[in-house]
Amino acid sequence: MRAKVGVYICECGPNIAEKVDIDGIIAGLSEFDGFGETELVVKKYGFLCSKSGREFLEEEIRNLGLTHLVIGACSPRDHDSTFKGVCGRTDLNPYLYRIINIREHCSWVIDDVEKATEKAESYLRGGIARVLRQSELFENPIDVNPDVLVIGGGVAGMQAALSLAAEDRRVSIVERSDRLGGRALELSGLSSGTFRGSDIAAGQVESVMGNPYIDVFLNTGVSSVIGFLGNFVIELLSDEDGATTEISSGAIIAATGCAVYDPSLSGSYNYSDRDDVYNPLEISRMLSSEGGVALRSGGRPENIALVHCAGRDELNYCSGICCGVMMKTALLLKESIPGVDITEFYRDICVPPHEGRQLYESVLEAGVDLVRVESAGLSGTTVSFREKSGVEDQRSFDMVVTAPALIPSPDTADIALLLGIPLDDTGFFQEAHRMTDPSGTTTDGVFIAGTSQGPRGILDSMRFARASAGLILTRLIIGEKLVPEVAVSEILEAYCTGCGNCLEVCVYGAIYSDGSKGVSVVNEAICRGCGNCFGSCPSGALRTKHFTNTQLYREVDEALR
Amino acid sequence: MISGEEERMDAAGIPYMIRPGKGPEGSVLDLLGQLIGSGGADALLLPFRVPSGDSFAWIMFSDVSLLKDAVPFPATMPVQGGRALRSLTRKEKGKLRIIALMRPCEIRAGMELSKLGQVNTENLILASYDCPGAVKLEDYVADPVSCDSAHSEMRSRGEPSGNARSACSTCVDFSMVDADIHFGYFGIKDGGMLVLPGSPAGRALLEGLNLEEGRGLLPQWEAEISRLAERRAATREETFRETAERISGFDGMLATFSNCIGCHNCQSACPICYCRLCYFDSEVSRTDPEALITAAEKRGGISIPPDRIMFHTGRLAHMSLSCVSCGQCSDACPVSIPVADVFSFVAERTQRAFDYKSGRSDGEALPLRRFLKNELDGVHEMVKDAESEASPNE
Amino acid sequence: MSQNGSVLIIGAGIAGMKAALMLAGASRKVHLVERLPIIGGKVIKNEESFPNMECSTCMVAPVQQAVLQNPDIETYTYSTVDRIDGGPGCFSAVIRKKARYISLVDCIGCGMCFDPCPVSLANEWEEGLMPRKAVYVPCSGSLPNVPVIDASSCLHLSGKQECSLCAESCAFEAVNLDDSDQVIEIEVGSVIIATGADTFDLSALPNLGYGILPSVYSPFEFERLFASNGPTQGEITLRGSGTVPRRIAIVHCIGRTEAGYCSSVCCMYSFKFVRFLRHKLPEAEVFNIHLDVCTPGKSYQSFFTSLDDRDTTMLFTPSIDDVRVTENGPSLTLSYPAPDGNTREIEVDMVILAAAMVPDRGLGEIAQMAGIQLDRHGFVMTVDRESGSLQTSRDGIFVAGTAEGPKDIQNTVIQAESAAGQALEAMSAAAAVNKERASGS
Repeated sequence: MRAKVGVYICECGPNIAEKVDIDGIIAGLSEFDGFGETELVVKKYGFLCSKSGREFLEEEIRNLGLTHLVIGACSPRDHDSTFKGVCGRTDLNPYLYRIINIREHCSWVIDDVEKATEKAESYLRGGIARVLRQSELFENPIDVNPDVLVIGGGVAGMQAALSLAAEDRRVSIVERSDRLGGRALELSGLSSGTFRGSDIAAGQVESVMGNPYIDVFLNTGVSSVIGFLGNFVIELLSDEDGATTEISSGAIIAATGCAVYDPSLSGSYNYSDRDDVYNPLEISRMLSSEGGVALRSGGRPENIALVHCAGRDELNYCSGICCGVMMKTALLLKESIPGVDITEFYRDICVPPHEGRQLYESVLEAGVDLVRVESAGLSGTTVSFREKSGVEDQRSFDMVVTAPALIPSPDTADIALLLGIPLDDTGFFQEAHRMTDPSGTTTDGVFIAGTSQGPRGILDSMRFARASAGLILTRLIIGEKLVPEVAVSEILEAYCTGCGNCLEVCVYGAIYSDGSKGVSVVNEAICRGCGNCFGSCPSGALRTKHFTNTQLYREVDEALR
Repeated sequence: MISGEEERMDAAGIPYMIRPGKGPEGSVLDLLGQLIGSGGADALLLPFRVPSGDSFAWIMFSDVSLLKDAVPFPATMPVQGGRALRSLTRKEKGKLRIIALMRPCEIRAGMELSKLGQVNTENLILASYDCPGAVKLEDYVADPVSCDSAHSEMRSRGEPSGNARSACSTCVDFSMVDADIHFGYFGIKDGGMLVLPGSPAGRALLEGLNLEEGRGLLPQWEAEISRLAERRAATREETFRETAERISGFDGMLATFSNCIGCHNCQSACPICYCRLCYFDSEVSRTDPEALITAAEKRGGISIPPDRIMFHTGRLAHMSLSCVSCGQCSDACPVSIPVADVFSFVAERTQRAFDYKSGRSDGEALPLRRFLKNELDGVHEMVKDAESEASPNE
Repeated sequence: MSQNGSVLIIGAGIAGMKAALMLAGASRKVHLVERLPIIGGKVIKNEESFPNMECSTCMVAPVQQAVLQNPDIETYTYSTVDRIDGGPGCFSAVIRKKARYISLVDCIGCGMCFDPCPVSLANEWEEGLMPRKAVYVPCSGSLPNVPVIDASSCLHLSGKQECSLCAESCAFEAVNLDDSDQVIEIEVGSVIIATGADTFDLSALPNLGYGILPSVYSPFEFERLFASNGPTQGEITLRGSGTVPRRIAIVHCIGRTEAGYCSSVCCMYSFKFVRFLRHKLPEAEVFNIHLDVCTPGKSYQSFFTSLDDRDTTMLFTPSIDDVRVTENGPSLTLSYPAPDGNTREIEVDMVILAAAMVPDRGLGEIAQMAGIQLDRHGFVMTVDRESGSLQTSRDGIFVAGTAEGPKDIQNTVIQAESAAGQALEAMSAAAAVNKERASGS
């Protein structure tokens, strides 16, 4: 069929019309014979984006039987979607249309009418050349599974499950250990006042167990994950009997939690198992036990040092919650051991805004000795420290409590590998975008929550879980289909040598290697058409649809004619 | 290599020696025969003289009786060994455990290809030897006999002579590389030879052979290698300086490549060019005839076929990060363009920009595949340096 | 009773916009109300955001565009909410669209109306660092890129003088000087408050000279001074003298004592300023007068520790409250208590005060209107906090972002997603309850 390209130039009121000689372009393009057999229809209009402009275009497409559409107007950021919509209301495939920016690129930036016109005309010629080489692409909506798999049964995982589970959406929680509740349950001894992490977790466990739409797999790990947003198939592996269970879900939340740093790994903390050195979790356990807080020898400590920031220098991050935990620990120790002397060695006070100064003031009121130090180290239960003024000193105590940083849980790297999501340089899961998409990952359909993404407190973890759950509620809508990206990459098998460059640069894990053929293959359901692979392929085996070399080269060639 | 000696010994074990007698060539063949005999490997990959007598070919064989006809240190390099390794292991590691004896640059090409998924080293035992350089193919075909004696002379001096390739005169990685076994004979008197394990696999193989410990020979060999390396480094500097001047600017590139006949032999001979079909031979890279006419109208005239420089700069962009400076491209050029000089020169700079060196064992990720937070920090300075190198008068 | 699945969001900063896009993605109708004539919130005032030093506009502009182009999001700029009645699933709200005097439909943002306007006054969005006209857009790159006429300063609208120069200059007949406020009533199922926060009022601390000494800057003043679309096109020159500062002090923890909490972001933006200065004024000497260094989270401390002595001199003081800034000829003297108890002085020519994040000054009024309670610091209080809920004291109304308390962009976005998710959850729960009731009756 002979191509018939409609070229419509928007005057944008005086915005384009004043600086670009549109009639001149119409005359020039009408006379131009560089497109061979192709028939060009070139017209102008006041405001193509207006309702009447859009209707005009629709009529033109229908009445003239246009095979391609080129719009000369503003930035695609303003109205690309407007004109795609116009195509959508006709039979013209939206991928056979192109908008050419002759406003921001020409009329708004070039004073000389002749030059602006020349540039606009060359852009339009390029656009025509490109659109003639574009191909129809078709959106292919797919059914989705609304169910969700949550990896990790801590406060974040449980909260996500509770937010999502409903009559028409089942949630599975897979938990490595033999119980739900995660780290928060270990904090029962530190529960008091507004800080009741273990109560929160216990309450959640009850709700989860009583929820008919949540399935819980304890003592179970994940052994394989395949699929993409809307259609994942996951194999679970029981640690108890090695049995595997296959489940399917539309999305996955990784809420694998955190672990605590081992202070003895730090060069400045020298102590052994025989010394009375504990972390707040261990103090919590003692506080909730019958015997209360006691020394290894059996006696009660008369003086206790709390030393902040274990691992902060080694890991090069501040966990942000330890100061608060330490101050609460100090208060509870004061309460639990009458007459005990407590000295808290801290470097910088960093407590979340909500806690405010109240906590700090209560600690002062309770008679805790707060010592600001530049650095502090341990030798058994002797604390050596350097004050801000430079004075160095050391003091011995009956007991020392350290404040180890939160680190990624040991499973994090394995889970990341299974899910095809990267870790950042701290070893926690890396977000899709640190700021604008902190709950998403590079694998669409895989979300992260809680301390698996970075150190944070219980309430923030739960909010984070609700965020991931919320994203799933907006992505996997019951009864609605998903439309995957159509301008994806493809690999021409005949050219591919399987070197794997593309595989390495694909952040979405959309490319895999077919060993038997020695080639790489794109999984179009996962590919988002970013084009990274395209740039990495030396042999031209890779092609990103709608951005092929031929399309780009011809556009440039024609524009530079 | 010298500075890494202690490290190497830690990883790979102590050096062995072979006493003077048969000379390096005979000793190497003997030892390879023993390795096959001891069951350490199933087959060998070695160069043999072709029936016409004026070239060499890679032969894979398991029949030890053929060994006597092999030419372990051939005077020329008609097919780069990296390519041979690729043919054998492109799809999988292969059933046979093969020992391949190659020049250091061929081993380095193999390492690059293994990073690119084209060579699987798992079942390969790579053996290298001190290489004095290769004779130009053109010269060899014209007069094999005198070239053979010239090459023998090169081996005894450890240095490339007049009819050696230019790439060999500028090569500083001519001795031990990341191979499993290395045969070192430069600077060792009376035809004695060092047998150096370079990997745990190499050590395991050699340990079974009852070889004599050779630490005593190390100092004289090391001294000779560093002396030769210094001399070649000086030639390299000089050649790079000339090349910089020659290819400076578009006019320089044009002058250098103006007699290119577009045969793409350089690309066919290159061990690193691993594409099934070169992008520059594919339809997508061809300019539309219509666009040629347009361009001709606009500029008043263009050369046909177009993109002669584009092919070479494109190839530089695609593979200079992996270029091992073996010199195959220059040897393959029918119109004597110093392709290898240009590629070595550019490769040295692009590899430096990414803090990468081609040809080391597969552990190191290819620059194109890794994303670093701080990359190409000094690249502006580098470009400026390159500019001032090219035009020293300014 | 009919269920309404629409959502009203108050505040079109990063939190409001992200929540709106999420809900629209779930095919919900969203009414997004913004008090200013543009959307984008505080983030777009920053040229770059920590810790990646990412261009804020590049990060936020696509979000702004997506909001403006989304057919399911009704954006009301230059508007306020007058009333919210009803309860979960069936709120009715009244939106007051202030007269903009420029048609959002007809105006194409060419800016031809600015020049003719005879009025000039300080542009508050640019922290008063540059003038604007009575008809103006707050900054270049404003979205929507449609000006507004400030009725109180416009000669015509304030009745001072007959003037219609802007209308005459407009080729699109987009100026309508007879425009009036519009009152729109909407029905929604949930409400999200995302009105953001303000910075601590520095004039409350005269010892630091803010507002008296021209070379003492608030954080947003400095952000605008650095911004390439700001008053100086990104040139760091001193107010008044126009000279380039050589010695700059950044004082941390301003307003921490008064506010009663640590905002947890000021250290980070102070270190960002150090980078700004290092980038633009490599020769300048930069001092950080600090107390606690608070850089919580996995990627923040390294942002600090990667600075070295050439970037800044860290000067610890045990008492920020005793820092004084005084005039000293053309420059400034900053005195602070040192750890050894003595008072030290440094001479600088620019001081930047790292002020705390405090509740938005309009939040009290909004809280009263919406019938929600504030916490002891004056931020929106959440109930049922122990489930990580962002529910306010009024059922069906949620809070997100810095309206709930100081936080960085990442946690603001997490809260926005969380609040949007909770709104969806609540609406389906409310729908279920009401369905049950309907079938039971």
